[in-house]
Parts: sequence; structure tokens; C-alpha cells
Amino acid sequence: MENQKATLKDYGYRDFTTLNKIYKILKKIFVVAIVLGLYISIIVIAIQSINESRNLSIFTRVSFQWYANILQEEELMQAIRNTFLVSAIATVLATFLGTFFAIGLYALSKKVRVLWMLLNNVPILNADIVTGFSLMLMFRLLMVVFPNIFGLFTLVMAHLFFTIPYVILSVMPKLKETDPNLMDAAMDLGVRPYKALIKVVIPAIKAGIFSGMLLALTMSIDDFAISYFTTGAGFDNLSIWIYAVIGRRNLTPSVYAFSTLLTIFTLVGLLTYQFLQKQKKGKKNEKNNFSDIAS
Amino acid sequence: MAVPYKIWLSILVFIPILAMLFISFSNLSSSVSVGELTLSLAHFKLLWESSTVIAFRNSLIFAVATTLISFVLGYFIAYEIKLSKFKNKFILLTFVILPMWSNLILRTESLANIMSENNILKNILGFNLFGNISGTWMAVLFGLVFTYMPFMILSVYTALEKIDFALEEAALDLGLRPIKKFWKVVFPLSFKGVVTGAIMVFLPTLAGFAIPKILSRGRIVFIGNIIEQKFIYTNYNHGALLAVVILFFILGSILLITKFDKEGETLL
Repeated sequence: MENQKATLKDYGYRDFTTLNKIYKILKKIFVVAIVLGLYISIIVIAIQSINESRNLSIFTRVSFQWYANILQEEELMQAIRNTFLVSAIATVLATFLGTFFAIGLYALSKKVRVLWMLLNNVPILNADIVTGFSLMLMFRLLMVVFPNIFGLFTLVMAHLFFTIPYVILSVMPKLKETDPNLMDAAMDLGVRPYKALIKVVIPAIKAGIFSGMLLALTMSIDDFAISYFTTGAGFDNLSIWIYAVIGRRNLTPSVYAFSTLLTIFTLVGLLTYQFLQKQKKGKKNEKNNFSDIAS
Repeated sequence: MAVPYKIWLSILVFIPILAMLFISFSNLSSSVSVGELTLSLAHFKLLWESSTVIAFRNSLIFAVATTLISFVLGYFIAYEIKLSKFKNKFILLTFVILPMWSNLILRTESLANIMSENNILKNILGFNLFGNISGTWMAVLFGLVFTYMPFMILSVYTALEKIDFALEEAALDLGLRPIKKFWKVVFPLSFKGVVTGAIMVFLPTLAGFAIPKILSRGRIVFIGNIIEQKFIYTNYNHGALLAVVILFFILGSILLITKFDKEGETLL
């Protein structure tokens, strides 16, 4: 009795220590399970890519032959080339157009701007299948005039349609942060409006432009549903090609190899980006830069 | 400079939708000449066919279930990221979204593979991690939840991050227990993020077709699968009609989102 410390109960509190301990352990198990759930498919793809056997259900030996084999798979290479071609064109155009559109929209009065930003959200929120189907119908109407429209052109148009809004969405907040007097100051100092835009406004919002570009690229490169409806026969991107192939036969393991490579590159790229960002900004802005890039 | 974008948006938002509406009300098709064109409600019969009703029911049930489950799990993860002592939150979030950068179809296909009876994980681990759920509703639900949950995590985290820590401290100072602090202070303040996240999970699930098709091995039909079928068999009138119906769900969601968020900024 003499040396015993007073427990929480003696002070009139309920003692939650054991419950807290159980909760903490449960929490860890949960986190691990969820992360595993998120990653299980990536892990399986990685395993599949280093499996020597073509058989998807048996692991025989570690081998990197499928990585070397990527270049030999003609159909796969064609799909990869198409994917990159479409994404590259769409991303460059979307970044360029989106930036200028955003500057234009920013110049509007707030009320009008809110309305257009709402409309800007339509391609983002609209279901892929509706966007794809309706664009396909519109391109079909155009077919009366341009019979061979389906293919690269329609794909790029469709990709522009859903990537430009993302660029605008990421440029707009940066525009709001800039000093509205910057442009006036530049023009007072005798710079022409067009030049002031390029020399003053663009540098001020370049972080937004860059993150918009990354977003556009991400959305474009991984798109399936919209591309599925708007492409023409024979012009498959990677997603469409995989979707078509899995219905018929087993995929070549080189697809898994390619996907694993892409995941690794993305990870390295993101971490490098983050590292550079941190070096540039110092530590002051650490909290906010995820929103620069995440969608 | 906004004028070109206004034109661009108008053309690509309104014309396709108008075309879709028109086609769903008319008998326009490649075999009909302009003179025979009539408007009718004939295609609307499709909406009461049992296959369509079942597909709508499937889509809705799965979309609601996916949203609820990703809300619970996603909120939990987002909150853990916020609480974590790890300084660089960006890295943690990178790991949350990294799976989204790899090809959706390929990921789904590999999920379907490991859910079948003989699979590579069984071969390596010696037991079947998923049981044998290939082709069942569980497989579809699992795939949907873990495909779209990152959206929920991101938008909840964005909302959580904006909460002023002083408010939480104040709540504790005023004598709330941590659990109560969470329900009375943190959760209400993050609700905007939950709504955005929920919509970003709900919509793609509702309108999806690839994931249910691959994971259920074609057994569970979503409304998207019917649209895909109509597209393959070039029955554009029916496809357009179903797409219009989905569009109404989306318009409702956009209205909901603008109620909470004026310029759509939480989308990023």
C-alpha cells in the first residue's frame, strides 16, 4: 500500500491504456493489409515479369529474358509507340493551350469565371464511358466530311479534351497567388502585353504549369475507356491492346516487364522531383507540394 | 484569351451531348436516310428490359458499396498519414498513388489471375491468398475498392491537412477525449474532402466496365458493359440512351460538388 502510485482511476479518469495498446496493434495490421491490397497487383506483375515460365500460374526460375524480349514483341512495341505518341502530342498541346486558356479565364470577372470553371469540370467529372461514347458519336458525324478521321487524330482530340481541364485546374490556383499588379508593372515599364505575359506571368506560374503537364501526361498515358471508344481500328494504345488480348489468349510476359519498368521509372522520377523541389524551396513549403502533382 | 476555350468547351461539351440526346430519341443510324428520320421514344423500351434493370442495379449497388468501403478504409489511411511522425508526407502520398500510374487493365488482369484456383501466389506461398473468388462479386468489389481508394485517400488527406492544429489543441484543452475530438472537430472539418472523394470513387465505379468484366469473368454485368456491347454491335441509339442516363447521375454529382466547393479546387 505504502509505495503504490495513484492510478488514473483514483483521479476519476477511466483507464484506456490496454485498450489503446490493442487499438495500436490493430491499426498497424490494418495499415499493412490495406497497403498490401493496394500493391498486390503491382507485386504480382513484378513477380510475373521475372518468371522464366510463360505459364501464369507456375513460378519456375528468376529470369530477365522478358525484359530483353520487350523490343522483339512487335505488337506490344506498336501499342507502346502509339501510347507515347498520343500522350506526347496531347500533353504538349494541352499544357500549352491549357496555360493560355487559364490566363484567359483568370481575366474574366469572378462570376463568369466560376461558371466556366464549372463547365471546365465537366470533362473531369464526366464518366469516361459517357465522354468516350459521346465524342465517338461526334467524330462519326464528322466522318461524313473526313472519312478517315478515326485513329491518331480522334485519339489526340479526345485526350486533349480531358487533359486541358487538368492543366487549367492546376494553373488557376497559381494565377490567383500572383500579384495582379505584376502585369501592370511590366507594361508600365514599357513591355508589350504579349511579351509581359511571357516574361512575367508565365515564370510566376511555372510550377502550376509543370504540375499540370505531369497530370495531363498521367491521365493521358493511362487512359483506357475514352481511348477505347474514340480510336479507329488498328490504332491501339497499350490499354486497349491489353484489353483486347486478354479476351483471346495469354499476354506475353514482356507486358509485365514493361509495366514493372514503367513503375520503377515513375517512382524514381517522382522521388527525384521531390528531392529537387526540396532543394530548391528549402524546408518552408514542405507541406503543400504534394498537391502540385497528385491528382 | 478565354474565347477560344469557351468555343472549345462548348463544342466538345455540348455538341457530343446534344448528339447523344438526339440519337437516343431518333431512329438515326447508318442505314436510315435523311428523309426517313423520325423522332420517337421507341428506344426507351430498353430501359425497362430486365437485363438493363439488373445492370443498373448492379452498377448502383457496387458503386455504393465501393464508395462506403473506400470511405472507411481510405479515411483511415489518410488519417494515419496525417498522424504519422514521418516528416515527408509527400513520399507517403506518392506510395499511395504509385499503383495508379501503372496500367489499370493490366493490374486488373493480374488481380483476376491471382484470384483463380491455380495461381502464381499459390505456387510460391503454398496457399491461396484470396481463396477461389474469381468471377464472384467479392472479386469485383475488391478490385473496385483497391483501384479507386487512392482518390479517397488523396482528397480526404488534402482536407485533413488544411485543418488548423490549434483547433484540435483547443478541443483537447477544453477537455474532449481524442475520440470525441475526432468526431466533433476533425471529421466535420474534413467532410468536404469526404464528399469529393466519395464522388471521385462513386462515378468511375458506376460507369466502369473493364474492371467488372475482367474480375467477374463476364458474369456480373454493369451498365457500362451493356453500353460497350451496344458500341461493339454499333447500336448507337441504345448506347447513347444509356449513356444519357449515366450523364444524369453525373450532373447530380456535379451539382453536389459545387454546393461544397465553388471552383472545383478540391479536385486537385
